[in-house]
Amino acid sequence: MNFFKRAWLNVWAKKGRSVLLILVSSAILMFVLAGLLIRSAAVKAMETAKNDAGATMTLSANRQAAFKKMQSSSSSSSSKSSRPKLTLTPVKLSDATKIAKLSNIKSYNVISSTTANAKSYDTVSTSTGMGGNSGGPGGMKATGSSSGDTQIDGVTSTALTTAFANSQSKLTKGRGITAADKGTNHVVIEKDLASQNNLTVGDTMTVKETTGSKSTVKVKVVGIYKASSTSAASAGPMSTDPANTIYASYTLANTIKGSKYAGTADSVTFNVKNPAQVSATKKAGNQLISSKYALSTDDASYQSIKSSMNNVEGFANKIVWLVAIAGTIILALIVILMIRERRFEIGVLLSLGEARWKIVAQFFTEMLMVIVIALAIAGVGGKFVGNQLGSQLVSQSTTTQTTSSGSTGQPGGSGQPGGSGGSGMRGGAGGPGSTTTNRAKTQNPNLEISVSAVDLAELGGFGLAITFLSIMIASGGILRLEPKKVLIS
Amino acid sequence: MLRTEDLGYWYQDKDQPLFQNINLEFETGQSYAILGHSGTGKTTFLSLIAGLDKPREGDIFLDDRSLKKIGLTNFRRHDVAIVFQAYNLFTYMSPLNNLLTAMAITGASHAGDKGYAQRILNDLGIGDDLITRNVQQLSGGQQQRVAIARTMCCDARLVVADEPTGNLDEDNTQAVIAQFQRIAHEQKKCVIIVTHEPDVAAQCDHQYRLENKQFVQLA
Ligand SMILES: Nc1ncnc2c1ncn2[C@@H]1O[C@H](COP(=O)(O)OP(=O)(O)OP(=O)(O)O)[C@@H](O)[C@H]1O
Ligand SMILES: [Mg+2]
Repeated sequence: MNFFKRAWLNVWAKKGRSVLLILVSSAILMFVLAGLLIRSAAVKAMETAKNDAGATMTLSANRQAAFKKMQSSSSSSSSKSSRPKLTLTPVKLSDATKIAKLSNIKSYNVISSTTANAKSYDTVSTSTGMGGNSGGPGGMKATGSSSGDTQIDGVTSTALTTAFANSQSKLTKGRGITAADKGTNHVVIEKDLASQNNLTVGDTMTVKETTGSKSTVKVKVVGIYKASSTSAASAGPMSTDPANTIYASYTLANTIKGSKYAGTADSVTFNVKNPAQVSATKKAGNQLISSKYALSTDDASYQSIKSSMNNVEGFANKIVWLVAIAGTIILALIVILMIRERRFEIGVLLSLGEARWKIVAQFFTEMLMVIVIALAIAGVGGKFVGNQLGSQLVSQSTTTQTTSSGSTGQPGGSGQPGGSGGSGMRGGAGGPGSTTTNRAKTQNPNLEISVSAVDLAELGGFGLAITFLSIMIASGGILRLEPKKVLIS
Repeated sequence: MLRTEDLGYWYQDKDQPLFQNINLEFETGQSYAILGHSGTGKTTFLSLIAGLDKPREGDIFLDDRSLKKIGLTNFRRHDVAIVFQAYNLFTYMSPLNNLLTAMAITGASHAGDKGYAQRILNDLGIGDDLITRNVQQLSGGQQQRVAIARTMCCDARLVVADEPTGNLDEDNTQAVIAQFQRIAHEQKKCVIIVTHEPDVAAQCDHQYRLENKQFVQLA
């Protein structure tokens, strides 16, 4: 094509002008690329955050159904003297395993809590105000009350619990409870309790059941943890000092509760693989269980990350379009000026009988040559700009992220005996052991800026569109130009 | 070959036409000079027969085919070659590429023939040292000769020129006029030149003067 040769001759002969055009185009494309990079990084970070933040689903007794039942029995009952009792059915583990088989479930934690009384050791007493009338350690224990002085939190794995996942509690010695401890008498005790009683990993201690035969149970210490002061808040006003909380396998808690609790749990928390599908999973799970139980979901952490990432993505999208539009306008103005300056050339072309569209095609080809080089420059420079912008955006979004996770992070499972930390358990749990690092990632979504082939292809598309549009806008002048007016004045 | 029929043109209003009822015939193998005072409409007339504008009145025929039928772009591409007073060339090209580009656009029979273009340029005194240089490094006379060479390398039988010697000195003027005569007589084309200079007009085969809205043939 002849216009192609003309375009090349022009770009080559007017090197200075071509270099300037390349620089302007590079700057425009660099900003477009930066926007594209941030956007694709936001999408990628969102994928990662989705899995890291996770969402949880908790299986527990259906309080609402139980409450209704209690109300109906009280209205039907003629004797008003006996108050009806709110009976909560413990969760069956067989239901839990059925739900755990759903494809979207990553892991699950069985929670069964109870209390026991200290036998071979002294509990830690809180030295504030009300501690005075309790009569010292062990003073009023085992006097018929069903609530003991030692809190026993039975779990599948300590790593999956809220306290450990949030790093409110940390292991200092030995190891945590894992699924392998099922059926054993292994426990993890608090540091203060251990030092007060000179207990260390490998030692044994005995507790006394608060109900039934009130027999004693011998347990073995496999790990020692340190509870931070914040975890005291979750213990509630009724509880004793948080240092008296012992972690054990849920099977041990069930044994202490009594034989009819075998194969049950207070609640079971499931960690969901894909938080976006948590409601579908809940639906599927509900079909596997009776109405005596309820499934509740918590994806607050996922939602807050999602919204903050959506903000970044939306912002990046705006950058892309703003820069693209501004770039088109700038380039169009440059091309219009360029075409005015070249009206004699256009006039000669027209007087030779050249088709107007071929003249437009020549200008388009010239700009295309410029844009191709500018694309290469922008590809290199855009990564730099994207990195700068990306880290700026991340520090901004992390601030919002931390604020929002702070407000949603409180465990909410009050009411049930010993059920604290159950339903309130929130995201961030990965496999045992990796939990802490996962959480760190969740709170600092990292925008990885790297130029992929897709980004470059998209940039190329934008470059082409900008070139095409600006030539189209400017070519109005070419199409209207009359050779007579140009050449004969 | 080219014939005007009741040709008329005016810019603003019909009461003040530049010329009206013009009936002229131009033949191949002949050269024509058009003289006239400034502002009488010589250039305007030329733009009509060069297919750069449409007549207000009447029509122009090429071998009995109306320009309206041929289409102005088509007419310019195949049938007419134009030399202006200035700004004739592509400034970002060499003389050689200027010729090759014109040949390519017009689809000339010698399109792509570098040797042919080179011979024509050499013939007009543009040596081999000049033909690959940028045209902006050539003198005004040399540039005008390149513009004439461009009309020679294309197939158009009609060559029109608007004051082609207006910016040239005596020697260059003589060389350019001699070239136009060769185009008419050797290439058997029809050459129409608008000029102010009686000396230039005298060398053409026919002379017309535009006055009082009419073309008057001089003896
Ligand atoms: N685009 C235009 N609009 C209005 N009037 C015009 C236009 N172009 C030319 N004219 C007028 O038409 C008349 C003829 O102009 P034209 O250029 O044809 O004259 P000319 O004979 O070539 O003059 P010169 O010898 O000075 O080149 C002039 O009076 C001019 O002012
Ligand atoms: Mg004139």
